[in-house]
Amino acid sequence: MYGFEALTFNIHGGYLEAIVRGHRGGLLTAADYNNLCQCENLDDIKMHLSATEYGPYLQNEPSPLHTTTIVEKCTLKLVDDYKHMLCQATEPLSTFLEYITYGHMIDNVVLIVTGTLHERDVQELLEKCHPLGMFDSIATLAVAQNMRELYRLVLVDTPLAPYFSECITSDDLDDMNIEIMRNTLYKAYLEDFYRFCQKLGGATAEIMSDLLAFEADRRAVNITINSIGTELTRDDRRKLYSNFGLLYPYGHEELAVCEDIDQVRAAMEKYPPYQSIFAKLSYGESQMLDKAFYEEEVKRLCLAFEQQFHYAVFFAYMRLREQEIRNLMWISECVAQNQKSRVHDSVVFIF
Amino acid sequence: MEEEEWSQKVTGNQLPEVDITQPQQLRLRQPRLHPGMEEKLVLQFMDSMHNYLSLFDALSSILREGWLDLASARHSMGGLRINSSLLDMKLHTAATTVKITQYDDIAVDSIAVQPCFTLRKWASSEHGNSQLEDNNVHLRERDGIHQSSAEENAEVTVSKNLLGPTDNDQFSKERSKSLSTFGVLISPKLRASQLSFERALDVLVEIANMRSSVLYSFHQLHEEAEDN
Repeated sequence: MYGFEALTFNIHGGYLEAIVRGHRGGLLTAADYNNLCQCENLDDIKMHLSATEYGPYLQNEPSPLHTTTIVEKCTLKLVDDYKHMLCQATEPLSTFLEYITYGHMIDNVVLIVTGTLHERDVQELLEKCHPLGMFDSIATLAVAQNMRELYRLVLVDTPLAPYFSECITSDDLDDMNIEIMRNTLYKAYLEDFYRFCQKLGGATAEIMSDLLAFEADRRAVNITINSIGTELTRDDRRKLYSNFGLLYPYGHEELAVCEDIDQVRAAMEKYPPYQSIFAKLSYGESQMLDKAFYEEEVKRLCLAFEQQFHYAVFFAYMRLREQEIRNLMWISECVAQNQKSRVHDSVVFIF
Repeated sequence: MEEEEWSQKVTGNQLPEVDITQPQQLRLRQPRLHPGMEEKLVLQFMDSMHNYLSLFDALSSILREGWLDLASARHSMGGLRINSSLLDMKLHTAATTVKITQYDDIAVDSIAVQPCFTLRKWASSEHGNSQLEDNNVHLRERDGIHQSSAEENAEVTVSKNLLGPTDNDQFSKERSKSLSTFGVLISPKLRASQLSFERALDVLVEIANMRSSVLYSFHQLHEEAEDN
């Protein structure tokens, strides 16, 4: 039941909700994407983006540009927006905003650990980390030899500490263990975020439950498809699925035993929201599955803005910006590789 | 043995046949060629050139596909999971090597050197498997010289029909091991890009062999022209 948020929300959250709705207005439109898709080279893309909110971030970049440079600079815009909102936020919004970045923190931890395993320079790895997922002792990750040390030396003082209870072993870090660690951490993070949103109640709980359930279900499908043909056992696969979402628990049981994309389709088509996603794909095809999921996600994120006085707008804005950056990355790659005919394979229009 | 066959053919007033599939075994000490034979050499040279250029086209399209698949995988999995800073810097043996065999004939007046390139993929597999792979690639290259379409050359399937199921499993394992640099649960697009680049390697070796053959044919024609 809603708790009359209209009476009290604006006291602490009104300013930031207005800010985030203003930021939403700055997202690229279909006309912007059409212009970008017709660019001949990356300098043209930079020129078109100079008229958008990304302009100040790209204007000083020298030619020749690289696609990774465009992605890095556009990500800085997202980081600046986030930090502005975080420093203005009070509890519980500040905790909610911090939760949004834990996924990036997990990715950074795995990047450092994997890179160290491959004897890469720590400084080089730190430069590649996502800025939203940085924390003070991240460089110390390079000295850990196993997960127990990882936890004891570094992660015990980070927000990821509670998520490590299922991962702590003395096994040496290898590719399989790191992958299981990544997915186990992310599962624990999603479930914790879900519980936090439920505690907040009201419109935040309702909208965030839907968004996080979709995220959990999409993760389950991706884990299933990516683990086909690998050494990951069915039991291990099942353990990586989150304990909530539309597919929990019966859908997970079916996904755990799938051996090809058609079996995944058969399992997912029993759920009406996902039937429409798989209806867009032909049998045996998984190439367009990512785009279909992103389109569904964008639809749900845009709907979050239709209601007021809740925190889900902040989550939705961050995710829509990330989708926009993914679009820019794809357009840049197609332009750089002279494959503009494929540009619409992965671009998801937000408006 | 081949010299005897050659003599018999000349004595019998037969047009000496040039077996272009085994250029490395041709003897250059041969009598002046019949004009018809010279035209045949020219045609074979032009055919080889056409196949050589077609292979380049095929290579270009395979590489384009591979790079786009890689970009697609990075789009799907994220830039943090697929980037150059994850590549393994530990010392390890190469998964794929190229063996170069020089065929030359030092017993003739002019020395013809024709290198032959053989790709050995997934060399960390058992020795038997890699040997089988060598033979398959070598056989395919010999046959490939006479193929009219270089697209057929580009469609390398590693002669899977000659490999047993255990060999394919071994290669799949080696491919997965190579991709584990980016994690275990990776997008199918990354696997597709790996296969594209693997096909590109096969085509590159075929290009190298085709070039070697073209240069050898050109050398023959040039010598013939000088004799005339």
